[in-house]
Amino acid sequence: MAKYFDVIIVGAGPAGSLAALKLARAGLNVCMVERGKYPGSKNMFGGLLHNTPVLNEMLPDFWERAPLERHVYKKVLAFMTPESAVSLTFENENFEQPPYNGHTVFRPAFDSWLAAEAVREGALLLGDCTAEDLVRKDGRVAGVTVKGREGQLRGNIVIAADGVLSFMAEKAGLRRDFKVKNMGVGIKLLLGLPEDTINERFHLVRDEGADISFVGTTANMRGGGFLYTNRESISVGMVVHLDSLKASGKAPYDVLDELLQHPQVRKLIKGAVPLEYSAHLIPEGGIKAMPRVYTDGMMVAGDAAGLCYTNGINLEGINLAMTSGVLAAETAMKALEVGDYSARTLSLYKKKLDESFIIKDMKTFKNAVGMMHAERLFQTYPRVLAGILEKLYRVEGMPRSKLLRLARKEALKEVGLKGLVSDGIKIGRALL
Amino acid sequence: MNIENLQQLTQFQIDEQPHIIVNKEICRTCDHRACVQSCPANCYTFDEETKLLSVVYETCLECGTCYIICDKGALDWSYPRGGYGVCFRLT
Repeated sequence: MAKYFDVIIVGAGPAGSLAALKLARAGLNVCMVERGKYPGSKNMFGGLLHNTPVLNEMLPDFWERAPLERHVYKKVLAFMTPESAVSLTFENENFEQPPYNGHTVFRPAFDSWLAAEAVREGALLLGDCTAEDLVRKDGRVAGVTVKGREGQLRGNIVIAADGVLSFMAEKAGLRRDFKVKNMGVGIKLLLGLPEDTINERFHLVRDEGADISFVGTTANMRGGGFLYTNRESISVGMVVHLDSLKASGKAPYDVLDELLQHPQVRKLIKGAVPLEYSAHLIPEGGIKAMPRVYTDGMMVAGDAAGLCYTNGINLEGINLAMTSGVLAAETAMKALEVGDYSARTLSLYKKKLDESFIIKDMKTFKNAVGMMHAERLFQTYPRVLAGILEKLYRVEGMPRSKLLRLARKEALKEVGLKGLVSDGIKIGRALL
Repeated sequence: MNIENLQQLTQFQIDEQPHIIVNKEICRTCDHRACVQSCPANCYTFDEETKLLSVVYETCLECGTCYIICDKGALDWSYPRGGYGVCFRLT
C-alpha cells in the first residue's frame, strides 16, 4: 500500500466520498479513512437525501443505480397539540420526475454505494480506521495517524470530512469549543411496515414518498419531530437543541415515545415492527458557529465545517456536504497543479464556498438561528392554531366571532401582545 | 417505549477498551449531571448512595450529546478504535 497520497480524506460520508470521486477521476492518488466497518455504519440522518446538482452532474444516472428508498412527493407540515393536529400538505407532480426533489435513503446503504463509486474510479478506501491525530511537517498538516489499523498516512492535502464533531478541525486549531445551544441531537426509530400498508396509509403509489414535519411534539423543548416513508419502513424521530434538552430534564427517548403515542401518529405506525434505533448530532448554529474551513495543508467539509442550515421549513445538510466536498476537491486539484498546499492557495476553497448556494443560503437565513431559539414557536403557536381551528369548526349553538377577532383573542390569550410583537420580529427577520 | 428494548435493535462491535472515561471525582460534585438524563442511549447512571457516576460505553451510539453537554470537563471522550462501536445496518 502506498503510504503517501496526493489527498487524504478523513471520513467516507457524502462529503468525503464525492470529494474522493472527483479526485480519483482526475487521476489523483486519493485515500479515504473511514472509522466504521463500512461507510455509513456510523452515520444517521432523518432520512432525506435532497436533490444535489453536483451529485446529478457527477453521477447522472444515480437515481437508477443508487440504493434509494422513495422519492419525496408529499410534504406535510403538522402543528400538534396533545389532542389535535393542524397540517398543511403539499403534493406536487413536478416532484415526480428526474431530477427528483429528494429521496429517502438508508445511510449505510447510500454511503457505502457512494464510496464504492469513488473506489471504482481508483480511490482507496481504508475501513476500520479512526483518524486520531494530524501529522504535521514544516508547520503544515501533512497527514493523519489512525487507530484501529495502527499507523500513519501521509499526504499533500488532508480533507477533513469527519462529521459534526470534527476532531480533525479541532486538532488543527480551526474551531472553538462547541456551544450547547448551537447543537441539535436527532434520535430516530426505524419501524418496519409492509409496502402496501405504507402506500395505503400515506396515500402513495409506486415509489412516492412522504415527508412529515411535526411542530409541537417535543415537550417543552425547541425542536421538531419527523416522519419519512421508506419502501418497507418508516423513520420516525425528532431533533431538539441540546441546551433545551438539558433544561427540560427529560430523556430524549421518552419524548420520542410521546410522539409515537400521539393519537394521530399512532394510527400511522400501527402494527409497525421496531427495526433500529439511532442518534446523531446536527450542527445548528448556522454561519456564526462555523469553524475556519482551511489551514496550511487542510480543508474541512460537510458537517465538520458546520455546513447545515434550517429555517424552520427546510433542514439541509447532506446536499451542502456533498457540494462542499466537490469544492474542496476542486481546490485540492488546483493546489496539486501548482504544488502549493499553503493556506493561501487553499483559501480558494472558502471563496468557492462563498460563491456557492451553501454560504449564500446560510447567510440568507442567518437570522433563522435566532428564530429557531424562540421557545413559543414550538409549543404556544401550535396551540394557538389548534385553538382557532377548534373554535372555527366546533358547532355548539353559541354565537360565533369573525375569524380575525377569534385569532386575535386566541393569540393574545396565549402569547400576549409583547410576545407577539417580539416573535413577529424574529420570524420576519428570519424568513421575510 | 423502553430504552432497554431500543438498544437491542442496534448492533455494536464491543471493544474491550472504553472510548469514554468519566472523572468520577468531578461528577460527584456536578450540579446538573445532564449526561444522565440527556444521553439518547441511557449510557449514564448516577448512584445516589455511593455518589458515583458510571458509563456503559458498550451501547453508546457515538452521537456526542454528553461530550457537548458536559461543561465540567469530566469526560475523556473519543471515537472508538476503527471497526468498533456502533454499527448501523439500516437507519
